[in-house]
Amino acid sequence: MTKLLQTLVDGLGVGSTYALLALGISLIFGVMHLVNFAHGELITVGAYTAYFFFLHGGSWWWMPFAIIGAAVLASMATEFLAFRWVRNASPFTLLLTSFAIERLSHALWQIFVSPKQRAFPKPSWVFNQFKIAGVSFEVMDIVTIGVTIATLVITAVVFKRTLFGISVRGAAEDFDAARLMGVRANRVISGAFGFAGFLAGVAACLILMRTPAAEPSMGSDWLLKAVIAAVIGGLGSFTGAVVGGVVLGLLETLTRAYLPEVATGWDKFSTAVVFIVIAIFFVIRPDGIFKVSHAERV
Amino acid sequence: MGSFVVRMGRSMLGSAVLIAAVAALALAYTSSGGASRESLVAEMLSNFILVLGIQIFIGNTGVLSFGHMAFAQIAAYATAVVAIPLAAKAKALPDIPFGLDNVHMNPFAATAFAVVVTVIIGALLGVAVSRAKGLAPTMITLALLFVVDQLVKNWKELTRGAGGLSGIPRIEGNGWLYVGALVALITAHFFQETRIGRFSIATREDELAAPALGIRLFTSRYVAWVVSIGLTALGGSLRAQSLGSVNPKQFTLDAGILVLVMLVVGGMRTISGAVLGTVLITAGNELFRQLGDPERLDIERFPDLFLGLAMLLTMVLRPEGILGDHDLAGWLRRKMYRRAEVTPTPAVVGTRPLTAREVEVVFGGFTALDGAALTVKPAEVVGLIGPNGAGKTTLFNVITGLVEEHAGSVRLGDDDLTTAGPVDVARSGLARTFQNLRLFQTLSVRENVALTALVAARHRAHRVRPDVDVLLDAAGLTEFADRSAGTLDYGNQRRLELIRAAALAPEYLLLDEPTSGMSDTESLAMVDSVRSIAALIGAGVLVIDHDLGFITRISDHIVVLNEGRVLAEGTPDQVRANPAVAEAYLGSQA
Amino acid sequence: MLEVDGITTRYGAITALHGASLEVRAGELVALVGPNGAGKTTLLNTVAGLLSPATGSVRFEGVDITGSEPADLVRAGLALVPEHRRIFKDLTVEENLKLGAATVPKAERKQRLDEAAEVFTVLRAKWNTSAGFLSGGEAQQLAVARALMSNPRLLLLDEPTLGLAPTMVDVVFHLLEDLRSQGRTMLVVEQNATRALQLADRGYLLRTGNIVASGAGADLAADAELFDSFIGGHAAATTDTPPGGAT
Repeated sequence: MTKLLQTLVDGLGVGSTYALLALGISLIFGVMHLVNFAHGELITVGAYTAYFFFLHGGSWWWMPFAIIGAAVLASMATEFLAFRWVRNASPFTLLLTSFAIERLSHALWQIFVSPKQRAFPKPSWVFNQFKIAGVSFEVMDIVTIGVTIATLVITAVVFKRTLFGISVRGAAEDFDAARLMGVRANRVISGAFGFAGFLAGVAACLILMRTPAAEPSMGSDWLLKAVIAAVIGGLGSFTGAVVGGVVLGLLETLTRAYLPEVATGWDKFSTAVVFIVIAIFFVIRPDGIFKVSHAERV
Repeated sequence: MGSFVVRMGRSMLGSAVLIAAVAALALAYTSSGGASRESLVAEMLSNFILVLGIQIFIGNTGVLSFGHMAFAQIAAYATAVVAIPLAAKAKALPDIPFGLDNVHMNPFAATAFAVVVTVIIGALLGVAVSRAKGLAPTMITLALLFVVDQLVKNWKELTRGAGGLSGIPRIEGNGWLYVGALVALITAHFFQETRIGRFSIATREDELAAPALGIRLFTSRYVAWVVSIGLTALGGSLRAQSLGSVNPKQFTLDAGILVLVMLVVGGMRTISGAVLGTVLITAGNELFRQLGDPERLDIERFPDLFLGLAMLLTMVLRPEGILGDHDLAGWLRRKMYRRAEVTPTPAVVGTRPLTAREVEVVFGGFTALDGAALTVKPAEVVGLIGPNGAGKTTLFNVITGLVEEHAGSVRLGDDDLTTAGPVDVARSGLARTFQNLRLFQTLSVRENVALTALVAARHRAHRVRPDVDVLLDAAGLTEFADRSAGTLDYGNQRRLELIRAAALAPEYLLLDEPTSGMSDTESLAMVDSVRSIAALIGAGVLVIDHDLGFITRISDHIVVLNEGRVLAEGTPDQVRANPAVAEAYLGSQA
Repeated sequence: MLEVDGITTRYGAITALHGASLEVRAGELVALVGPNGAGKTTLLNTVAGLLSPATGSVRFEGVDITGSEPADLVRAGLALVPEHRRIFKDLTVEENLKLGAATVPKAERKQRLDEAAEVFTVLRAKWNTSAGFLSGGEAQQLAVARALMSNPRLLLLDEPTLGLAPTMVDVVFHLLEDLRSQGRTMLVVEQNATRALQLADRGYLLRTGNIVASGAGADLAADAELFDSFIGGHAAATTDTPPGGAT
């Protein structure tokens, strides 16, 4: 029971990070039918930002703002410099464009900083533990889950209450109709990229507090998981992205924790098992859990 | 398409020209300089095979796969475990399973073994990839990459984990790699010349039109996948034998992306594009490797910068790739085309009526059809008209199997087509066109028609089938036969869609708004086109149009739909004189 | 107020409008009728900025607006209720209206929403419902209300009665009359041609991309040309052939 509870908390921790990233991917897909493989690079940008600030005496008190700010700017920059020019191209072209940006980002960090990992300090309290009813939790687990919930609430408020949020949702459903309301395409898309950057920045903070280091290709693994989470949930669906992220996180930690009990040595293949499950899921339900009907009108 | 010998000869000729060009470049490059240049050429040649391998799937079906490298990796390891000499193997892999400890194969057998094993695995997974829709196949292949990566790293009894395996007998020089590249070229070229290869291309061009012409999406994708995996396996196996070792880092997502960049930069739709891309990216990579300043910067990574830039610039400036649809094979096909001598066979008019009865369709609370019915007799032209939203296109979609959930029945003579999907409807004798033109845009005019003729040859063999060139003549398109369909003017695109459907030798042609967007003169000309082509193949016609001038001229019988029901039917004059029809069209007086 | 002068609009290979011209004066209700595929929707979409004409010009209140962004046209005082309504089904009624007021200063937005709730009582009852759950008639009222949020001086309506039950058609026609009595200038594309023309001050008949007749609404409603256009019988093939036409 204790083990199950701890595994669930671990799973929620990883899963909520996936959820934040998947939400950004789903948001961008909603407004321009782009599966953004460059989204994970925002974590890398955040990591190097933290690394550079720590070189000059940074502090974790304000570092999250710097990380999030950098991610927002970087996200909007990719839109302005690259995606704007292929906006009406086929989804295939859009996807490969984002891939190109991912490659470029890797190369630039490697060339101009270093291919090696660059570490920086972590907040002192991260791995402190405390116990509730005999079950021990890490402080970071609670912070992760708390911050994610807060971020999701902010997201919900933005998309439910603000004109910007409503415009983005409207544009995701019917871009031309939104233009007829006076919504400017450039502003909505660039704003969506900015918000996706904010979500990725928050995710980056959570990731970097645990593993405070910058590495050129660190974003890719997170990105691939987040894309898969977004697709599991149903691309374009915000609820789906969150559910997909949490499901993926739980699936991963549960298989890692319980596979060895099924057969010894299986823990080495936990990722493989998760991905086989996912592959089977896609065959059965290619549109994800929450099918978004208008997302098909590519 | 020509006979097997002609197609094979054409594939070999095209392949020989391309391989000769690549070899000439490679020899010029390696004539000076040392072993490092030789190994660069070796790397390029094995990439060459991998690029052609993925071209067969991605290029022909238009489905993006990230997972091909996983199969190259499986093949490389499969080669290693049977090719490494027994003594060395006993040392590196003491606990090797499947009784492989006693297996030792010569290079040919090892290569063949690797290809067969990989193809078997690929064939199993291909069922999932070919069945899934939208982004799902791409995601499945991506997941596959993770699975194989983890298996290779952790199944240490078989793979020795992260360290990899060495001691694979190396192939001397690049001779065998050239042979492998030539085999890959011929395979890729010939695949495009086969029936199933043409069908894959059709599904790439239009996922909706291909099934409506009797092409099954799954079959063509699946075969393309299996052939593609076979070539990829060959590439993986040869690379392992060229390097003499294999490790988990050789076939990662990065390696896959390198190959993908080669494909998209050159132009993924054509083999010439794949070849050009491989040469250019290899050369560019090498150039950038030498450009970096080792004193200041980490030059190892300059090629990555080049790759990213090359892909980004291609996507922004020329998303079709440098060559687009220009292709040596296509050029040869056009140059070698000889018009077949045909003795005109008179068309035989079908005997089975097409009937739809009591059709009801409800879309989420909205009743689109409410008991609509119609009958078309052999060789008759029936016009289907009605105001906007009357349910005309929905009725069409029910008849042709695109709308599956409906009440009522659809029959062609004794054949019950009520529950048949688009592919089976097309094969049993109904060929349709689409309201918003769904041609195979990048294919030539003749290829558009020839593609359906291929379906007809297999599934409509009992009918008199029209010759492709006769159809082109009838539509006045012969002079444009070699142009790509997307470049025709609008009227000609409409006529092309008409003869593409006619090439199926159907008993009925179903035309959805053949004159929409045409001027009056063009519409008038279309009356003759439709009539003469229907007569040529002995087919009846069911036609929707809102140009009533066109409908009254072309139809023997008119059915008027309103609010999902038949409002009136009869001869054109009867319908024109019917006051209910006038009211449905013009609206009631206030 | 609106002058459309010789516009030609193409979609890829299709030329949907061949130099069509029309005019709407302040305070008028103008009906644009014609058979399916004549180019009516293309004309409205071109005026509203969703499409750019290849040739010709569009002037609104004396200003050349040819090829302007829809966002700018809404701010200039021109709104389109598009064909098939295209309300945002995933958004609530209130959110749809808020988006309609996207160009309105924030301070006024609340007041506009209240006004809309007062005028469109049907919508008030469904204020927080997803628009996807509205009936056809309710959805059409929402589409009109949404376009009115920006308080346009010229309202373009594309097939406002399409797919509606007869009683709802009456409701929409009454709504048009109300809007006219409030002095709103309107250009309406309507399949219910006779009725639209009887209501309208003036009308235009569009056929295969050309204006073939125009005049006072009631006169045009009785014109034989109108009947011919809809119920067949070509007025001979005299219309010009577009470039690269029939071979």
